[in-house]
Amino acid sequence: MENTNTQLLDKIRNIMAEVFKVELDQVPPELVFGDLPQWDSMGHMELMMVLEEDLGIPVTGDTITDLVSVQAIYDYKLGQADA
Amino acid sequence: MPDHRLEITPAIPIPEHLVGQIQSKLAYVDESIALAQVAASGDQIILQLHAPADASRAAQLTEKVQRVVTEMAKGAFQPKVEVLEDYGERAVPYSADPMDELLARGEVSKEETGIFTFGPLFTRLVNYFESRFLELADSFGAQPYRFPTLMSARMLDRANYFRAFPHSLTFATHLREDLDVINQFADEAAYQEGGLNTPPESFSRIQAMLSPAVCYHLYFSLADHPLPGGQLIATAVGNCFRYESTNLTSLERLWNFTMREVIFVGSKEFVLENRELARERMRLVFDEIGLAYHVESANDPFFVGEFRKQAAFQSAFQLKYEIRARLPFKDDTLAIGSYNYHQDFFGRHLDITLPDGSPIHTGCTAFGLERVVYAFLSQYGLEPQHWPKAVQEALS
Repeated sequence: MENTNTQLLDKIRNIMAEVFKVELDQVPPELVFGDLPQWDSMGHMELMMVLEEDLGIPVTGDTITDLVSVQAIYDYKLGQADA
Repeated sequence: MPDHRLEITPAIPIPEHLVGQIQSKLAYVDESIALAQVAASGDQIILQLHAPADASRAAQLTEKVQRVVTEMAKGAFQPKVEVLEDYGERAVPYSADPMDELLARGEVSKEETGIFTFGPLFTRLVNYFESRFLELADSFGAQPYRFPTLMSARMLDRANYFRAFPHSLTFATHLREDLDVINQFADEAAYQEGGLNTPPESFSRIQAMLSPAVCYHLYFSLADHPLPGGQLIATAVGNCFRYESTNLTSLERLWNFTMREVIFVGSKEFVLENRELARERMRLVFDEIGLAYHVESANDPFFVGEFRKQAAFQSAFQLKYEIRARLPFKDDTLAIGSYNYHQDFFGRHLDITLPDGSPIHTGCTAFGLERVVYAFLSQYGLEPQHWPKAVQEALS
């Protein structure tokens, strides 16, 4: 990730570590849906709910299918902030 | 139907797309509920109770109902319904409910709520439609399998079934291996007041369930191993059991029904390509049969706690498409089958892997045989001369 907003990236990784109950180093920026056993369909929806509450990312059909990697969540949030 | 009504205003308005889903779950709220109805507008719930409820009982029931409403409706987003095929307006000659005539002719006999036996005409139609589904299976070179009616509780637990569909489970048990318990049962067992009078402690712990689905047996048989060759197409028919409480009505919802499945196991691409191919091939069959139906995205009837998340996930990823046949007599549709994709859910939970070590993906095409026949008879009636030629000829 070039010109990374480190604060945002860390916030996302911390949220994910908490939702999936793993250490922060198990949530690298390259993590994608399915890489962790906890990031399955149920884990994904848990994550979406928390992202909505903590980061204001709406839970919609599109966000559910699109936000399947740390990078995608980061890019979405960055885009939201720019909009 | 008893006339002890309890009217409840939902804690939050029920969105239109959840009215049916929430109504069906209200059947499981309390044994005192004989019927639950949610107004189409979503702003009123009416419970018909078996007995009058005093203020404290009414408050208790209301609290339970509000819990269901809140858990299922709060924050729910409206899924986009994708219609893949629409032949719902196909002209059909019949518009009455065939149930009365089926009962009168002895073609259908009710043994117990949700449990029916079927006569010669109905059975021949089941066999005919099953032969068409077997043609589909053959077109894929599907391997035939036979599965038991009982299903391992241990394996269902591994597949997370208890969390997703606890309400519809049917448990298999037997008397404990204890001479006194067995003798007491032999001496005293009787059917009284809607059930056996046997004390619950006479029964064994639950090791088996009655199968809620067919394809699970295949996945269980493949568990904890790499999949030889990396792909498999199988077919099987089996008895399935889903307890639906007061929703067990007519032939639309049976406690015990028969399902024919064609099951795809392999890579994501393999499963999705074949699921699509199955749909295209079945379109030709339904056309020949003259069925009025449509195919649309759907979700499974997850129970309250899991519903919002699981249904949202399933809808968003378009994992399930239902074949919904028109029931002209009630201006409604009935799901007679589905095209499903489970992603790598079973591969992960049951440790079934592809040659590269990644979890397998699965999918299936499933047909509820009694429902298919019921929908067909709803559209064409019981007189064979009114049936489409393909069906007439096959049964002559």
